[in-house]
Amino acid sequence: MSDEVLPPAEGDLSIREPPLVLIPVAVLESQTVPESLVDFLAPANVVVLGYHVVPEQTPTEQASMQFEARAQAAVDDIAQNFSVAGREADTRVAFTHDRDKTIERVADEIGATAILLPNPVGGVDDVLVPIRGTFDVDRLADLVATVLADGSGAVTLWALSPEADSTEARQQADRAAETLVDRGLASDRIRTESTVVDAPVRAIVDRSPEFDIIVMGEGEQTILTGLLGDRAERIAEGAVAPVLVVRGRETD
Amino acid sequence: MSSQPEHQNSNVSGETPTQVADPTQANEEMTVSEGGSELERSIGLVGGLSIGVGTMIGAGIFVFPGLAAGEAGPAAAGSFAIGAVIALLVALPASELATAMPKSGGGYYFISRALGALPGAVVGISIWMGLVFATAFYLVGFGNYAAAILAEVGLPVAGSSVVVSLALVFGVLLTALNLFGTENAAALQNYVVGVLLTLLVVFLSYGGLNAVGVFGAQTTPETFLPFGPMPMFTTAALVFTSYLGFAQVATVAGDIQNPGRNLPIAMIGSVLIVGLLYVATIFVATSAFDSLTLSRFGETAIVEVGRSFLGDWGALAILAAGLLATVSSANASILSTSRAVFALSKDALIPQFASRINLRYGTPHVALAMAGGPVLVLVALGEVEVLAEVASFLHLIMYGLMCVALIAMRRNEPAWYDPDFRVPAYPLIAGIGALASFSLIVFMQPLSRRIGVAIMLATVVWYKLYADDIQLKGVL
Repeated sequence: MSDEVLPPAEGDLSIREPPLVLIPVAVLESQTVPESLVDFLAPANVVVLGYHVVPEQTPTEQASMQFEARAQAAVDDIAQNFSVAGREADTRVAFTHDRDKTIERVADEIGATAILLPNPVGGVDDVLVPIRGTFDVDRLADLVATVLADGSGAVTLWALSPEADSTEARQQADRAAETLVDRGLASDRIRTESTVVDAPVRAIVDRSPEFDIIVMGEGEQTILTGLLGDRAERIAEGAVAPVLVVRGRETD
Repeated sequence: MSSQPEHQNSNVSGETPTQVADPTQANEEMTVSEGGSELERSIGLVGGLSIGVGTMIGAGIFVFPGLAAGEAGPAAAGSFAIGAVIALLVALPASELATAMPKSGGGYYFISRALGALPGAVVGISIWMGLVFATAFYLVGFGNYAAAILAEVGLPVAGSSVVVSLALVFGVLLTALNLFGTENAAALQNYVVGVLLTLLVVFLSYGGLNAVGVFGAQTTPETFLPFGPMPMFTTAALVFTSYLGFAQVATVAGDIQNPGRNLPIAMIGSVLIVGLLYVATIFVATSAFDSLTLSRFGETAIVEVGRSFLGDWGALAILAAGLLATVSSANASILSTSRAVFALSKDALIPQFASRINLRYGTPHVALAMAGGPVLVLVALGEVEVLAEVASFLHLIMYGLMCVALIAMRRNEPAWYDPDFRVPAYPLIAGIGALASFSLIVFMQPLSRRIGVAIMLATVVWYKLYADDIQLKGVL
């Protein structure tokens, strides 16, 4: 755990590292950020990345020549919504052949603590945190504590173990609960559960309707999972709720 | 509208050059546009090499060995070597210019910025045509291979009408694929080129060992220069089409990662790779057959070489490789054409609607149509050697002028000129490069030269009528 103590981001919570959420939006495909999600994320620092993917046969320069004004207007609209919710969001616009590469590059450049994979959502209150293996408990706690600080929603820390006798996920969930309390979240808003599952992605997707948003670690990086972790992408595709992927700390 | 006051910097439609992104505002991963958007660079070194190698390899091995050996005998290997040296002399200056101006448009962009709008317009429109001729040439090559495969599996096909029909059908298919396809074509191209290279190295190694007598076969059946030294040079002019790919790497310069490193390596590396393979191919082919026989085999001569080594199985393998190679060449050329059209229309040298993109597919449909349409007309003519030479002619003009552009840039460097790669002894290399490029033209057939000159004159007329007022020299 890091010893340095950063000034709190909002209110008087003991937030170690003010969370910075990167929100990639396919702006020219009419994707947007639901208003309730804007309100939910507004306590965190936010960067809106409007991107447009063009096929390889189209130079990005050519796409920007034609669509730049539209893309920037769409991104500015989203930033305006954040502004109404009390958060001045930074905006970026990118034209790319490779969405993942662009999101990863921008996330690295701004030092994002989490990336939003948007999905339609109604009101945002209840948070599901599926826990498997190790992840950055501090970052996750900073993020969850920040966005839940002024609301009334609850967070469910859900430990998913491959076998009944493995305790790693449960220990992680307990640690996360403690850390959340340290960060100032009332303990009656934190619930801890534990389940033994074979197919965690399936299980998380199936349970997603009970919650408004999923917050999870990006999982171990392998060559196959690539940037956001295959798993988070798969969950975002299947789930009815948006997914916030907490990034691991850059190794420096 | 038609009479403009002086130096409005606009064409007769009132359009002015559009500055989308300043190439000096680029880092390894992206360029920042004037409007503050980020233009991601997503093509890596392998992608760049595969554009270069993939474009070039189609012609030199799978179309030319028969034609070239027929004209120069075993000295055709020398013709390919001459071509490689000239290509390298041009690739070096092109690399420097590309690292200084990593923008879509390649040669046209460098020349218009170094020498001005008129030379830029002549080269830009000519290279559009040059790529159209090259694509048509690759497609006819494809038609030959497709027809040969049909014949090989026993379908009763004969005559050039079948070849042309197959080439036409495939030309339409490729254009449509680029118009509507959003799949990752570049990754596919990488695999195609990888498979091809593997196949060729195995084939050429076997053939090479065979030629030097390891397997007890006959030695080279004739003298190196059966027709004297002159055909070696005229043939070099013909086969130079096989080296037209390295400059295509520069047309994607705006999308390539770490351009300061990857552009020079991709351009120079791809010339070296294919040059070596070409020389080896001719050596192997002329060792297996005498040049008269090779010449009679025509465009698919290398298939007969494969058959002589490994029977029908070898013939089929080479046929399949040839099919893939001509496809990758034609496809890469259509894409380069579309980028050349974009670069011209961005600078208002042709109407700006040519760079329109449709939002649904995200593809530059006007530019692609301006590539695919004329290609089909030329394919219908089916004149392989003329197509190849006109393509070479127009490319050689651009190559020569790129060398001149380098000298012009270096002698009066603008403040923004800061290439990551600098050509050593540039007046010498660029000077010889320009001279060699222009002198290859002298060795071409009169018909090809006349068509080439006519196209260039037409571009001058177009410029004078449409875009006389555009200023591009030194403007980024």
